[in-house]
Amino acid sequence: MNTKELETTDKAVRYNRPLGRISEEEDGVVLLRLEMPGVPKEGLTIDIDGDLLVVTGAKTEQPDSGRYLVRERPRYHFRRTYTLDETVDRNRIDAELSNGVLTVSLHLKEEVKPRKIEVKGR
Amino acid sequence: MNLIRWKGNSLLDPVREMERLQDEINRLFDFDRGESGIGLFDRAESPAIDVVEREDNYLVMCDLPGVGLSDLDVSAANNVLTIKGEKKGSRSTKGAKVYRTETWEGTFQRTVSLPSGIDSARIQAELSNGTLAVTVPKREEDRPKRIAVKVM
Repeated sequence: MNTKELETTDKAVRYNRPLGRISEEEDGVVLLRLEMPGVPKEGLTIDIDGDLLVVTGAKTEQPDSGRYLVRERPRYHFRRTYTLDETVDRNRIDAELSNGVLTVSLHLKEEVKPRKIEVKGR
Repeated sequence: MNLIRWKGNSLLDPVREMERLQDEINRLFDFDRGESGIGLFDRAESPAIDVVEREDNYLVMCDLPGVGLSDLDVSAANNVLTIKGEKKGSRSTKGAKVYRTETWEGTFQRTVSLPSGIDSARIQAELSNGTLAVTVPKREEDRPKRIAVKVM
């Protein structure tokens, strides 16, 4: 099924959920990695709607001719929604796409970062 | 800080829950799962593939997110196409806090038995946006030929 067919026959567009990994590699920056193979840079949209982070990746066209002998790959476009809490700085969100993996860097607000307090001895 | 996956409105939908339960039970009894097209040395965690037969070639597509060109090896011998490599894209640095991992990493191998009548010398492979596309042309003499029928 190609995407053109998908739009006409399936009114409620279905999405596949990309697999993700969430980690904090350095203090104050949370990395969200989403595997979205087949999605070019142009097909990617990242929306922040209030507390929701919505990542949508439109795949490039599948081959429209031919007969599928094996079909295991997710066939729909990717979409995944996350809830952001108030510690994430909405104005400092970066995204990078390489080899089909999207990396979204979520910076935490300065005031929630743990601060080290020097203990002075006398 | 926590990222909480959005569960949508289906959380309290009993019909949805029943369907999910049924799916899970069905999966338990799926003994023949994974038998089709999995080679002897293929690991359980192997990338998903599509094989499409087209008029003059076969197209093998494989999802390899996070796999670079240098970590990938595609070879063909005796009508068997082998895609192998190492997926190591998301390995984190020491001391990183990991909140959630759904992805896998490690070496993988996937073999595809191709039908006879392919031209293995002209196989082409291309990796773009994390998807590998291997085009396996059919041999000239094995392509379907159209025979013109003349009306007398």
